[in-house]
Amino acid sequence: MSEEREKVEEVRTAFLNEFDRFRDLDLSTATLASADEVSRELAELKVRHTGKKSAIAGTMKLIGRVAPEERSAFGQLVQSVEKDIVSMIEAAEAKLSEFISDARIERERLDVTLPGRRPRTGHLHLITILRQRIEDIFVSMGYHIEDDREIETDYYNFDALNIPDGHPARESQDTFYTTDGFALRSQTSTVQIRAMERRGVPIRIIAPGKVFRRDTPDMTHVPMFHQIEGLCVDKDITMAHLKGTVTEWLQRLFGSDTVTRFRPSYFPFTEPSAEFDFSCFKCRGTGQFEGERCRPCKGSGWIELGGSGMVHPNVLRAVGVDPGVYSGFAFGFGLERMCAMMYSLDDIRLMFDNDVRFLEQFR
Amino acid sequence: MNISYNWLKDLIDLKGNAEEVARQLTRVGLAVEGIHPHGDDLVLDIDLTSNRPDCLSHLGIARELSVYTGSPVKVLTEDVPDVPMPAVLAGDIVRIDAPDICHRFTARIVRNVKIGPSPKWLVDRLEAIGERSINNVADITNYVMHELGQPMHSFDLDKLEGGRIVVRRAAAGETITTLDEVERNLDDSMLMICDAVKPAAIGGIMGGLNSSITDDTVNVLLEVAFFKRESIRSTSRKLNLTTEASYRFERGVDIDNLVRASDRAVRLICELAGGVADDLIDVYPSVHRAGRVVSNDISAAVKRLTGLTVSTDECDRILESLGITAETGEEGEKSYLSPTWRHDIAIEEDLVEEVARHTGYENIGVELPPAFGAGEYQHNEPREKRLRQTLVDQGFDEAISYSFIDTRFDGMFDAVPGLLIHGGGDRFVTLNDSVIEGAVRMRHSILPGLLDAVRLNLNFQRRDVRLFELGKAFAAVGDGEPPNEQELFALVVTGGEVHQDRAMTTRELDFYDAKGAVEAAMAAVGVTDLSFRAADVQHLRRGQAASIAVSGEIVGSLGRLSDNIAAGYKFKQPVYIAEINLQMVLGSAAKTPVYRPLPKFPGITRDVSFIAGRDAAYTSMRDAILSQGSDLIKAVDFVDVYEGKGLSEGERSITIRIEYRSDDRTLVDSEIDGLHLQVLSEIERKTRARPRF
Repeated sequence: MSEEREKVEEVRTAFLNEFDRFRDLDLSTATLASADEVSRELAELKVRHTGKKSAIAGTMKLIGRVAPEERSAFGQLVQSVEKDIVSMIEAAEAKLSEFISDARIERERLDVTLPGRRPRTGHLHLITILRQRIEDIFVSMGYHIEDDREIETDYYNFDALNIPDGHPARESQDTFYTTDGFALRSQTSTVQIRAMERRGVPIRIIAPGKVFRRDTPDMTHVPMFHQIEGLCVDKDITMAHLKGTVTEWLQRLFGSDTVTRFRPSYFPFTEPSAEFDFSCFKCRGTGQFEGERCRPCKGSGWIELGGSGMVHPNVLRAVGVDPGVYSGFAFGFGLERMCAMMYSLDDIRLMFDNDVRFLEQFR
Repeated sequence: MNISYNWLKDLIDLKGNAEEVARQLTRVGLAVEGIHPHGDDLVLDIDLTSNRPDCLSHLGIARELSVYTGSPVKVLTEDVPDVPMPAVLAGDIVRIDAPDICHRFTARIVRNVKIGPSPKWLVDRLEAIGERSINNVADITNYVMHELGQPMHSFDLDKLEGGRIVVRRAAAGETITTLDEVERNLDDSMLMICDAVKPAAIGGIMGGLNSSITDDTVNVLLEVAFFKRESIRSTSRKLNLTTEASYRFERGVDIDNLVRASDRAVRLICELAGGVADDLIDVYPSVHRAGRVVSNDISAAVKRLTGLTVSTDECDRILESLGITAETGEEGEKSYLSPTWRHDIAIEEDLVEEVARHTGYENIGVELPPAFGAGEYQHNEPREKRLRQTLVDQGFDEAISYSFIDTRFDGMFDAVPGLLIHGGGDRFVTLNDSVIEGAVRMRHSILPGLLDAVRLNLNFQRRDVRLFELGKAFAAVGDGEPPNEQELFALVVTGGEVHQDRAMTTRELDFYDAKGAVEAAMAAVGVTDLSFRAADVQHLRRGQAASIAVSGEIVGSLGRLSDNIAAGYKFKQPVYIAEINLQMVLGSAAKTPVYRPLPKFPGITRDVSFIAGRDAAYTSMRDAILSQGSDLIKAVDFVDVYEGKGLSEGERSITIRIEYRSDDRTLVDSEIDGLHLQVLSEIERKTRARPRF
């Protein structure tokens, strides 16, 4: 049977010669394309050297020429050669396909740092953001939110607020007038009167809204701005309630370690009157921030915010409330000034320029 | 106002240094804004409220401090000689013809003075508080004003014709050249200090040039007077002339302080400029009576308004220190006399404030008012909040523009429905004047503000802009009625579609982006029956303009900004705008959704395309389909529109999807073939659109 064996060896040798380039395949410099090419060639080689029509399968036909007692050994030989061939090809295939699959994954590797796909979102105006936050606080404290006319009669803008004809505050030239004699409200205190007329007392309201003053626009002045006015009238209301209420909402806005300070002042519609300050939200009242003079409070540790006081008896009388029975407090402050301090704005005119580069800084 | 620490020490024994004094003053409402050194002195910069003119002097500040120090103000304990010239003789020199506005007038003649420089101490004192030295007599009047709070004026007696004073209103057409060398035209409301012939000074405001003290002056007439506040204020406004004197007179000086001030000045003149003083002339036609404030239990009143517990004795001590003395009437009624220098003490609450600020606001408690009830937002706020958030989510930034706009926008924009409600007269609300050039109209549309914002952003190379604004617009009503105010909602869209953090826009925005935003906004406030119709709107480009209606009622407009307005702004890219009367929209309640059972059986969808002219509207095709009234037609939706190759000029192909479905069985095609054909021919009949196969 040596002839037949030789034939098998020939087939093996022929395969090994052909397979040589696939043995110890070096893919270190391969590309996906070259690997694909090699893979195709290997597949071709596989077709030729495996399967029923392959040379090694053909050697099985020689088994008839082999002596019967050697047939078993011959068969084993052929099978073992065939197995070697298949396993060598499969090993090369596996190596290739792993490389190809790795290369494919590598090719589809993403830059996960590229921006996500989403339409640009817009921004609420800074004033709206702050107004909503403050309204939320006061609603949770049992206050009703109110607003009313922006163009008022002198009665609501002045008389009912204890600013009679001839009063300096009335002649201060601060007020815009329409040609038919109406006033653009110069404070949202007008809403105190409107709301008490509507709702009567007891009352707890917050009145946010636009107000107008004849100030030429500059870094710190604008002729239109937003105020929030608060009013609480009931039996037995004292200045302690004023201090408590103002302190409470400022603490909710700026943190529970916020401290308030009340200083005697003067407003026609309150008596006694007070201005209120709060400990700076940035330096927490120390006047120093990161080793430098704190900017929002100018190093004082205090931020001056607004005016307040006990509602003047003439104001209560104007809406038919007996100041002998009821008392109340009121307070007011400007939102633009507050925003300017909170965000270190050096020019409040930006608030009404509607420059998108400004608007998109806040949310 | 500047207050010298050394000067204060002359008037009152102080406790503590300048910082301590500043702290005490700030605590009682006289805010010390700063302390600045000046030589060996310290100067306190005090911010005063307008109700405290009595504190516009070292005396006034000392008086406030005396409550704290417990020591009296020295000048107030000094006697003032009170030997006026007999009225008969005085009348030859001073006559008041306008006693309604000049309540008291004192004059004193000092003869043989020598005008010259002031001594160093006087110059130093004035310079410390920021005043310039002029000459001894002028400096003395200035000095006494800052010390005692009483403005005064010195005349060169020899330049007063007739050597006398007549206090009267100016005659119409009279003029005076004031010390600042400005000739001033007077009217008959203005109080003048005149000589026998002509005005010599504008009472309480500024002296005349021709009667002023010069280096050659020998005889001086010193005027110390009290004028009605309103009169000084009015004259000061009319002449646009404010001085240290007018500032004090219009806020109120102390009518009982005139003689002391005059005496102080005259003694200084005699001391520093030589001279001999005549007797005091004091013309005081009707003597001022102190105001009386009834308060039977001041301690209780303090408690009631401030929560502070202050004994009656302590209340009285504080008030007494401030010169507010208690008095008990015959029937046991207790009242407090308002001192002549305090024009702000009229009611019990005023007394409470005095007690409270000197007891210290820091001693007032901190507590919340008792619970009252649930809080509540404004009626429309929840819906407006959703509208704002919806637009923000869609990429819009919220704008706030000024409510006053330029007159050049007059008639440029059609007003939203519901704003103009009257006939006759000017429909705009106009301001008497503005602080922004030309902006005297109260806006009747938000659009001018938004378009200005677009221009600003384009100028800063931001060409992709989406803005919205909520706010009021105004229209005159007339007949003495206040203007109509309506809450509007407006938006503007221009440029391309921006993606977050991406440099390139994906496509140019168009009419339908603006329309989509309007739809989203209206959906956000609960509008379900929204419709659009082609319309002619003045500020919108013809053919790209629509009216917006809610439940059939027009509430606003939408479209592309007209070419001529766009040209005025130099816009080179299309700008789309919409404006809605939000108040009208929010006038009806939001619709609550009603549940509809989910479909149980599959439906059949058919897409149909029509070739039509531009005038055949999609909604009319949809309406034609729905008008079949078949309950098998469950939905009609827009698929696509195509223009261009294959179609002739002015034609477009529009594709519509119809969904047929039955609620009780699965439909088969043959069941709806007939209905579908009917639908097609109905569209063709009603819109002249041809089916395209």
